[in-house]
Amino acid sequence: MRAAGEAVGTLVEPGQGWWQRKRTRDLALVAAFLLPSLTLFVLYRLLPLGWNVLLSLQYWSPLKPARWAGLDHYQEMLLADEVFWQSLQNTLVFIGASPFAIALALGIALLVNSDLKGAAAYRSIIFLSYPLMTVAVGIIWRWMYDERGGIINFALRESGLIAKPIPFLQSFEWALPSVIVAEVWQVLGFYMIIILTGLQSIPQHLYEAAAIDGAPRWAQFWRITLPMLKPSLFLCAVLGILNSFTSFDLVYIMTNGGPGHATELLITYIYKSGFGQTKFDYAAALTVVQFILLLALTYLANRLAGGNAGSLEQR
Amino acid sequence: MLLPFYWVFKTAVSNENIYAYPPRLLPESPHLFNFVDVWYFIPFPRYLLNSLIVSALVVVCNLAFNAMAAYALSKSFPGRRAVLLLFLSCMLIPFQATIIPAYLITSKLGLLNSYLGLALPLLSTIVCIFVFKAAFEAVPQSLIDAARIDGLANRHIILRVLMPLSKAAIATNIVLAFIWSWNAFLWPLIITRDPNMQTLPLGLARFLSYLEDTTGALYAFAAMVLAPSIFVFLMAQKEFIRGLTSGATKG
Repeated sequence: MRAAGEAVGTLVEPGQGWWQRKRTRDLALVAAFLLPSLTLFVLYRLLPLGWNVLLSLQYWSPLKPARWAGLDHYQEMLLADEVFWQSLQNTLVFIGASPFAIALALGIALLVNSDLKGAAAYRSIIFLSYPLMTVAVGIIWRWMYDERGGIINFALRESGLIAKPIPFLQSFEWALPSVIVAEVWQVLGFYMIIILTGLQSIPQHLYEAAAIDGAPRWAQFWRITLPMLKPSLFLCAVLGILNSFTSFDLVYIMTNGGPGHATELLITYIYKSGFGQTKFDYAAALTVVQFILLLALTYLANRLAGGNAGSLEQR
Repeated sequence: MLLPFYWVFKTAVSNENIYAYPPRLLPESPHLFNFVDVWYFIPFPRYLLNSLIVSALVVVCNLAFNAMAAYALSKSFPGRRAVLLLFLSCMLIPFQATIIPAYLITSKLGLLNSYLGLALPLLSTIVCIFVFKAAFEAVPQSLIDAARIDGLANRHIILRVLMPLSKAAIATNIVLAFIWSWNAFLWPLIITRDPNMQTLPLGLARFLSYLEDTTGALYAFAAMVLAPSIFVFLMAQKEFIRGLTSGATKG
């Protein structure tokens, strides 16, 4: 098709230099069209990545000349900073909860993928929480967890499970699980939609063949559904890992890292060090550590999913 | 799953002391005073205006920049693979991991406390570029060639041939860009110190820190802020899901 178009072009405008000129014009156009997006991504993704590393190796604060710090910030972080270890642990717990959320989402996806009446409506309802403003979601859940006005304490007391109200977000042992529940509530629908898309791309004839061979339902699930879902599940896992970054809004609103540092995540600690105490250099070092953690966990998830589940290069 | 929605709505229209125990399951004498309260008690119109301006900026620029980039990527040119790889690797960098340098860059550009500064990092989205790219590649090449023979310039090919055939991609772009900019919190929190430039999520957070959770007005505010995203989602559920999962199924 393309060749035909160019042939016609040649008829209209013959000559040696024509092809050359058109080529440069095309290139200029491509460059001009890519420029805005490319500039933005370099400015707000790639450049910050390198700058973070550079900052983390310097003593730097606004209005003061930078001095080389070597690995001092990392040394301080790893050896002397208890809050860092606490927030690292919390971040890992946060990420560790995502396999359970994904399993739950898988169960729901299997349910709403069937021909049950109202499955479509139920799907929308579960997904509804995902596009909501996280700040508002945090406020709602704060209120649900409230000691006196909250419905959760009310339900638990009425059903006789507890005698005294639990101050969920103010207690050291309950605060982190409570925030995680709210976070799972918000992202569950997204996991479900991803898994659902995966489910619907499994060819139906595989199940028919298995049924003819007399494979029971659980074997079909184990041998067909789960292996075919690997890419979707991998994607959910990556999102679960990324959520440890993006849950800043929720934690900031619900507990602001408290009580103490019981719900401090690395990202909230980065924010506090950088913009609360203006230790930009130290915050940059924290960011580098969290980014390495993110890459390592993503690599691990990819290995678990069988190597090329992300298949980024195939696009 | 719906309980939180009900609980916030119930509290927003309640008149009674919301700390009374046991809490009532149904609002007693429901009313809308709390909503009126929000309008006058805090600069709600100002927050709303800021949010709308930033969102509009983000949506318009996303449409233009993403369509342009997608059109460029649907052609073959030297270095195309490198650009694709760069885009894909940028997808792996969460915005939150860039906040410190991003703040310093924006401050160097002199854009702190400005609409442009608020919108800038969101003006083009990689996922949406790929949504457009897929839509453009689905348009038959013969149609584009025919348009070219008729002497249409590149910009007219995009505006008159490709865009009208990519309505679904346009809808997806609009919905995603709107939701992301409407909900953004961390970035506005960092770069706006001036209350006059703050957006709705910041207003909500400020309200919370002034009043703690003591008043129904807070929940009325939350309900008002949630309403647009719920509305957009219900109107364009299909486009929204397609946008999010197109990133999902293709990597």
